[in-house]
Amino acid sequence: MSDKEKRRAAVMPSGMPAGKATKPDSDREFLAQAGVGDLLLGAILKMVEARSDDPVGFLADHFCNLASVTDGGAAGCGDEEPPASGPSGAGALEQQRLNRALWHLRLAHHSQRSAFSNNVLVAFDLLNITGCQRREGEAPGGPDGPCSDGPIGAGGGGVRGGLYTQTLQCLCSEGGVPASTSAPLLQRLCCQDHEAVPYDVFRYGVLTCAVFSDYIRQAQRLYAEVCCPDQGPASRALCLTVLGTLKDALETSQGCDANCCLNANTRSNTSLEANTKALCYLQASARISPHNLAQTMVGAQTRGPGGNMDAKEFENAAAELFITRVKLVS
Amino acid sequence: MSRLSAAVPAQRYLADSQVLFYLNDAVTQLLEHKDEYTQFGLVRYFAEYFSSVKNSNHVLFREFNYIRATQHNRASFIRVFWRCFRQIGKSGELLSVLEYRSLLQLLCPDFPLEVVQSTARIVLMDDATDCLMSFTDFIYAFQLQLYYQEFLDGVLLIYQDLLAGKSPNTVIVPTSTSVEQLLSAAAEENEKEERQQDGVESSTLSQCVDALCERFKCSHPSTACMKEILEQTDKVSYFSFLMSLSKHESINQTIGALPSKAEVLIDPEMDQELDKLIAQISVSPSSNSSGSAVGALKEAPRRASPRRNVHHRRRMEVESDGSTEETDSSEN
Repeated sequence: MSDKEKRRAAVMPSGMPAGKATKPDSDREFLAQAGVGDLLLGAILKMVEARSDDPVGFLADHFCNLASVTDGGAAGCGDEEPPASGPSGAGALEQQRLNRALWHLRLAHHSQRSAFSNNVLVAFDLLNITGCQRREGEAPGGPDGPCSDGPIGAGGGGVRGGLYTQTLQCLCSEGGVPASTSAPLLQRLCCQDHEAVPYDVFRYGVLTCAVFSDYIRQAQRLYAEVCCPDQGPASRALCLTVLGTLKDALETSQGCDANCCLNANTRSNTSLEANTKALCYLQASARISPHNLAQTMVGAQTRGPGGNMDAKEFENAAAELFITRVKLVS
Repeated sequence: MSRLSAAVPAQRYLADSQVLFYLNDAVTQLLEHKDEYTQFGLVRYFAEYFSSVKNSNHVLFREFNYIRATQHNRASFIRVFWRCFRQIGKSGELLSVLEYRSLLQLLCPDFPLEVVQSTARIVLMDDATDCLMSFTDFIYAFQLQLYYQEFLDGVLLIYQDLLAGKSPNTVIVPTSTSVEQLLSAAAEENEKEERQQDGVESSTLSQCVDALCERFKCSHPSTACMKEILEQTDKVSYFSFLMSLSKHESINQTIGALPSKAEVLIDPEMDQELDKLIAQISVSPSSNSSGSAVGALKEAPRRASPRRNVHHRRRMEVESDGSTEETDSSEN
């Protein structure tokens, strides 16, 4: 019996003679048997979660990714770049896992926190090879799902430090951050190659890089606003004022974290805590409001140091403000 | 990815994205060719399906109802038509309505004559629709007609009401079947009243079209472009208005299926390929490079009964992504 016939026989309900199945029923059976419903449900859920602006493109990428997983990475489709051939064996496999993890991390913006957290979890499990292999037998939930619902990272597993650092590097460069700007951040976040990175640290690193990429893009835009494109680089006095305002705002928001910690120590009301936090963030955003910024900039125009500041210098200074607030890993 | 998009409820997001239409079609196609696609791999099938939708190759050899179902499908079809047949434009060949229809039927077996006729009316300003048309004129008018069909029907109703001196406020968007009758009615009316040939007041039409756009659910050309066109003359006829729309570069850019008119026939890589082919063929004495392409095309509809071959062709397309991929790369 050929493969096809076997499949057809399997599709038929066991008690029913082959000829009598009505067409809609057999279609339904076929879809159920082939798992099309689950396949599409998974795709739609992912798509709705990510709220991509290009849903068709999203589905194309999603199914291509799934196909490359089930085909063992042998085939890329359409406009996808061909899978890296060359270094065979473990290196290629690891690269493939890294690509898939990055793909998951790209799916949702970090502001959609629950979707993002899910994707971080999936990425962590993909990279946490030893843990995954150990659990694969117990949880046959598809090649792409999280390996288990249990506590992640428990039991001594973890992503290899080198792989973790590589993930962060890719995230920053994909986020449009120049390597020179992200290097100091990665220095703070990176782990040694031999270390096993637990889930908490992994999530912290990934989230920080995602936020950092956004922050740098905003900083670049801010510089573009400060300088007039026709008149060359922006004046140093203006830039310093803007950076100063940014620093004030960051300090205000950080101060609120400190306050909250204090409150937590004194075991005060949790809703009060949340209110204080919100108030701090509001104060911080008021400090960088266009109105406030404009006022300080008007003041700066008349005094302050002369000369200009170029885009790169501004970006570095803004990055430094961010990076000094990132806590050291390990 | 827009950060604010999370505010859109899931159902709204799904409805707006038209993605359910494609999912539905993908499953229908799957059921029609179960065995084939099961062997091919289901995940891989869906990957190919959505990649082809993304790359605009999905409308090849599909039925007309599918082609007109979404704006993306319409734009994709216009682009495919252009890619397949721009060499005709290059050769400077003029073709008739029926010949253009034959070309369209090579890509879409049940492509209706009415759409081609409406297109010809735009090109030829409603007279002498049996005249021959250049490829460039045809394709931009065809783009307007196919992409904005429902809107154009609405404008025609307004136009006729204005011609008859009625208030056009009670316009109902017609179904596609009634349009033909309306058009023939319009033609008769034009013959009867010669003085109405020069059309209606542009400013009045502009106001009515503006009002139509406000309550119109389907896509329409940008109101700014239409205003710009209508401000150029005092009086305007329906078909001269459509002609101007079809030639408007910014409307063309919005649809995004065709390059600008200046570049519509430029395709150096395809030319090179053709030159190579012609050089090979011209070794044999019986072939004739200039006339043969169109001659073959004219015979093609008789030879091809595409329905029968659709299945086979689709399979080839899925397996190799075939010739369309090649033309794709030659563009870039």
